[in-house]
Amino acid sequence: MNITLVQGLLIALWAMIAGLDCWLQVFFIFRPIIVCTITGLILGNLQLGVIAGGLTEFAFLGLTPAGGTQPPNTVLCGIMTVVIAATSKISPSTAVGLSLPFAMLMQYILLFFYSSFSLFLPKFDKYAQQGNAKAFKRLNYVPIIIVTLTFGIIAFLSAYAAQAPMKALVTSMPHWLTHGFELAGGMLPAVGFAMLLKVMLKGPYLAYLILGFVIASMIPFSNVLPVALVGTVLAMIEFYHNRDQLKMENRIKEDEKNSQQTGGADDGI
Amino acid sequence: MASKKENKNSVFTKHEISMLGLRSNLVQSAFSYERMHAPGWSWAQLPYWQKIYKDDPKGLKAVMTDNMEFINSSPPLYPILMGLLLTMEEKHIDRPTINGLKNALFGPMAGIGDAIFWFTILPIVGGICASIAKDGNVLGPILFFLIYLFIFWTRIPLAHLGYKLGTKAIDVIQQNSKVISHVASILGLTVIGALIASYVKMSLTINIHAGSSVISLQKKLLDKIFPNILPFAFVFLLYWLLKKNVNPIWLIVITFLLAIGMAAIGWM
Repeated sequence: MNITLVQGLLIALWAMIAGLDCWLQVFFIFRPIIVCTITGLILGNLQLGVIAGGLTEFAFLGLTPAGGTQPPNTVLCGIMTVVIAATSKISPSTAVGLSLPFAMLMQYILLFFYSSFSLFLPKFDKYAQQGNAKAFKRLNYVPIIIVTLTFGIIAFLSAYAAQAPMKALVTSMPHWLTHGFELAGGMLPAVGFAMLLKVMLKGPYLAYLILGFVIASMIPFSNVLPVALVGTVLAMIEFYHNRDQLKMENRIKEDEKNSQQTGGADDGI
Repeated sequence: MASKKENKNSVFTKHEISMLGLRSNLVQSAFSYERMHAPGWSWAQLPYWQKIYKDDPKGLKAVMTDNMEFINSSPPLYPILMGLLLTMEEKHIDRPTINGLKNALFGPMAGIGDAIFWFTILPIVGGICASIAKDGNVLGPILFFLIYLFIFWTRIPLAHLGYKLGTKAIDVIQQNSKVISHVASILGLTVIGALIASYVKMSLTINIHAGSSVISLQKKLLDKIFPNILPFAFVFLLYWLLKKNVNPIWLIVITFLLAIGMAAIGWM
């Protein structure tokens, strides 16, 4: 199928909404699972959007901005995964890999904004020193508008304007290459999980990682909810254990204080 | 002054504090590496400062200038911090104390927030909803949206909490921040272990010809050692590279090269 101009414009509009949410992190509709679903809806193939959403969400579960590095952008990745899968008639898991260059393009644009928006700070400082609340509020809209428009433009160019060369590229790819991209789509979640581990994995927690891995490998169940419940149980045990210990420590400290005080008083006599 | 029932003394109505919770969504409006959330953080609270300092232009200038200093915390937890600092602001506690408190709290709160929201809630909620969605069930994205809508609304009670507790919140946060991150790490890592087993897809398709029989390397060897051993090893390879300070972008490149290479030689 081809993306019509109306669909291209709707995708641009959706990219602006999701992009604004990505910038402010309000409703989390910038996550691939939502972005893909809505994009699928725009292209008239909800089913494809939902499936692509599930696959892309896995790839991005650990790729979060919290690790200290800005990850490839989820909005562009979500949109382009569905667009490429729909226009080139390939499986969503292959399309995830092919959409990544677009996600990286947006990532670098955002990194550029993060650095260059320092230029607004002298103005903010000036308005703050003057106590000029009105101008201060107004200035905040400028970066927001720049970011929102950029999302719309990049998404429109990627989804609508670049569709013909993209399609030509995908159809000219040999089978082993598309299969390679499909494999990469399945392996990609590993990058995110490794990044989560870099932040979270400290000695004592390795045991829990292995436990979760072993349970999930052994029980035939379609999602991680049972393991999450086991994790919750362990967390609760640890929480109450810690709380009791803290209480005990406080009591011991108080007792020590009291005995010292009385000891001091005894010395005085 | 010493009254604990904040409603009689406070400048702000319940509705205004609720709105503060919603306005806390603005913190990232003008994000830059230099001072991170400072402009948005000030923007969110500006109407409240204007009300407190409506007859005191000097006070307004001082509070605006002070809050343009660097601040970076966890966005979903900002309502607590804003509520807390607003009580101090309306009681006209001296500026260095307020600034000191702000700086003492945003770091630990960033730690708790990241541990809860990015490293625990997102992998669990995203993992479960995505596994529903990948079979084409539209309930996956709907469930995801509803859960995050709920998290969005928690900003309102969190703002009230910060405003009510006031300085008492400081003890609560500092005492519990360690335990909360510890407990969140336990839950988070258990789930990540499960996610690695469930959603990193790697299996060899190569067969070994031993005489007349054909042996599948994956089924007859790797699966006999432990199922999913390949994904687990691959995640730890990437983890090791990250520990060596390899840029995450390179990890993505390596993943693609490995996948395409394996596909080209027909091993996977």
